Amino acid sequence: MMAIIELCDLVYTYPGVSKPSIDGVSLTIEKGEFVLITGPSGCGKTSLCRTFNGLIPHFYQGELKGQVTVAGQNVTGKQTFDMAKHVGLVFQNPENQLFALSVEKDVAFGLENLGMSREEMRKRVDWALNLAGIYDLRERSPHEVSGGQQQRIAIASVLAMQPEIIVLDEPTSFLDPLSAEKIFDVIYKLNQEQGITVVLVEHRLDLTAKYTNHLIVMDKGKICLEGNPRDILCNEETSRIGVGIPKATLLYKKLKTNGFSVNKQTPLSSDELADQLLEALNK
Amino acid sequence: MSFFDGLKFRKVSSPIHNLDPRIKFIYVIAIFIIAIVFPQMLPLIILFLIQLPFVVLAKIKKQWIRSLRGAAFFAGFIFIINILTTFFYNDFTLTALNVENALAMTMRFVVLFESFSIFFLTTSSDHLGLAFEQSHVPYEFAFAFTTAVRFVPVLAEEAQTIMDAQKARGLELEKGNLLKRIRNYIPILIPLIVSAIRRSLELAEAMESRAWGAVKKRTNLYLLRLHKGDYILLGITILLMVVAIYVSFFVSIPLISDLLNPSVL
Repeated sequence: MMAIIELCDLVYTYPGVSKPSIDGVSLTIEKGEFVLITGPSGCGKTSLCRTFNGLIPHFYQGELKGQVTVAGQNVTGKQTFDMAKHVGLVFQNPENQLFALSVEKDVAFGLENLGMSREEMRKRVDWALNLAGIYDLRERSPHEVSGGQQQRIAIASVLAMQPEIIVLDEPTSFLDPLSAEKIFDVIYKLNQEQGITVVLVEHRLDLTAKYTNHLIVMDKGKICLEGNPRDILCNEETSRIGVGIPKATLLYKKLKTNGFSVNKQTPLSSDELADQLLEALNK
Repeated sequence: MSFFDGLKFRKVSSPIHNLDPRIKFIYVIAIFIIAIVFPQMLPLIILFLIQLPFVVLAKIKKQWIRSLRGAAFFAGFIFIINILTTFFYNDFTLTALNVENALAMTMRFVVLFESFSIFFLTTSSDHLGLAFEQSHVPYEFAFAFTTAVRFVPVLAEEAQTIMDAQKARGLELEKGNLLKRIRNYIPILIPLIVSAIRRSLELAEAMESRAWGAVKKRTNLYLLRLHKGDYILLGITILLMVVAIYVSFFVSIPLISDLLNPSVL
């Protein structure tokens, strides 16, 4: 295994603010991992994402202390457009990250910026559109498709740049649960089939906890808990911070405190819990 | 607003829609110049008529007529102002010539509006942005243009949301005199501007993340190429210009009022 993102004692303060938004974070993410970051609003998740491709400190300025190494590059010494080839960022609001008047053109935007030849560009755009499952939409205008489709366009457009890492900052907070699930399917497929390292910031652990074995819980600019979600989501600390623990896990915890134990690993989805319950009932 | 409706693009495929926007623009400019050069009624009517086949070919009759109807108010305004000024200027008399001149002024506006509305009805803003880029307009301007077009519906929707929210809090927009009514819109405008600024920041962030400014000479997914139709339109444009120049120098144009009045001939 090889570390692809390494943060070392990171402290960052936005300009004009006295309290640091990231307060002493050290973190290692391996190549090919699916990492889930969660925590209450304003805990520094978004700021952390911004350090991965150098938006912090280049775009936001402010004061940054510590080391950020991503894909072997020292981020503070690189321009954001250099990092864009390695790290793709997908933001919360799909509407504000699509600029062009056709889907296809939007997906090509990054490649055009890199000065790629038309033939290569065409190949990569079609590839990315197919992976995101929106090839049929390619000639539509981004503002006339649904929010879920818009977010998939945004994913395709960073995908086209073939980054090693995709960072998604609450990509589903503007979407309904069904569209959200579709987005997570696409992301998981990218991680499994293309081997892209995924860093996903999400509140919806109900839908996402099952994908990962590396969960990070943040609070007040610090990493509070880190590890396997099956351990962390049972932890009392997690509920105190205010993390959206999956319903299945909550139910399992309640059953467990009332003496019902199946002596299995903590379930993360209703499917897993249902299996355990069925097994116990049939005994 | 029907006036702006006429300038709104709808996705259709037709021989006119597929023309290169650059050539179409040259054509519009040519019509523009010719319409300005001739103050007489007859050539303006001809200019109006020769554009009708474009409307039919582009299958935009309905929208086009609607846009003309929207322009009718301005046309009427131009006509009345012209008639009134000549009427007062000539000591309260009007001749057939005065009326014809006023009509010609109105016709000139109609011709200009006609050609612009054909242009905008048959050219997608995407195509237009592409034309900017490939006519060596700096990319920043072309980008600003397409982004502005892209965000018009988004901002319109947002304005509506803000209006609804403020109305729900008891803001009465349609109350008071004109000055008061304008002031009523301040609680709409401020949140709209603030959110637009915030939006632009997010947009800039997304652009940065997609390698904005990585290389000096960026490439483009699409390439505009001239096709047969473009050469035909270019030919028509040149022909029009040549005829117009010839006529303006060597032919005296008869007045419609004279043609209608056989006693003069």
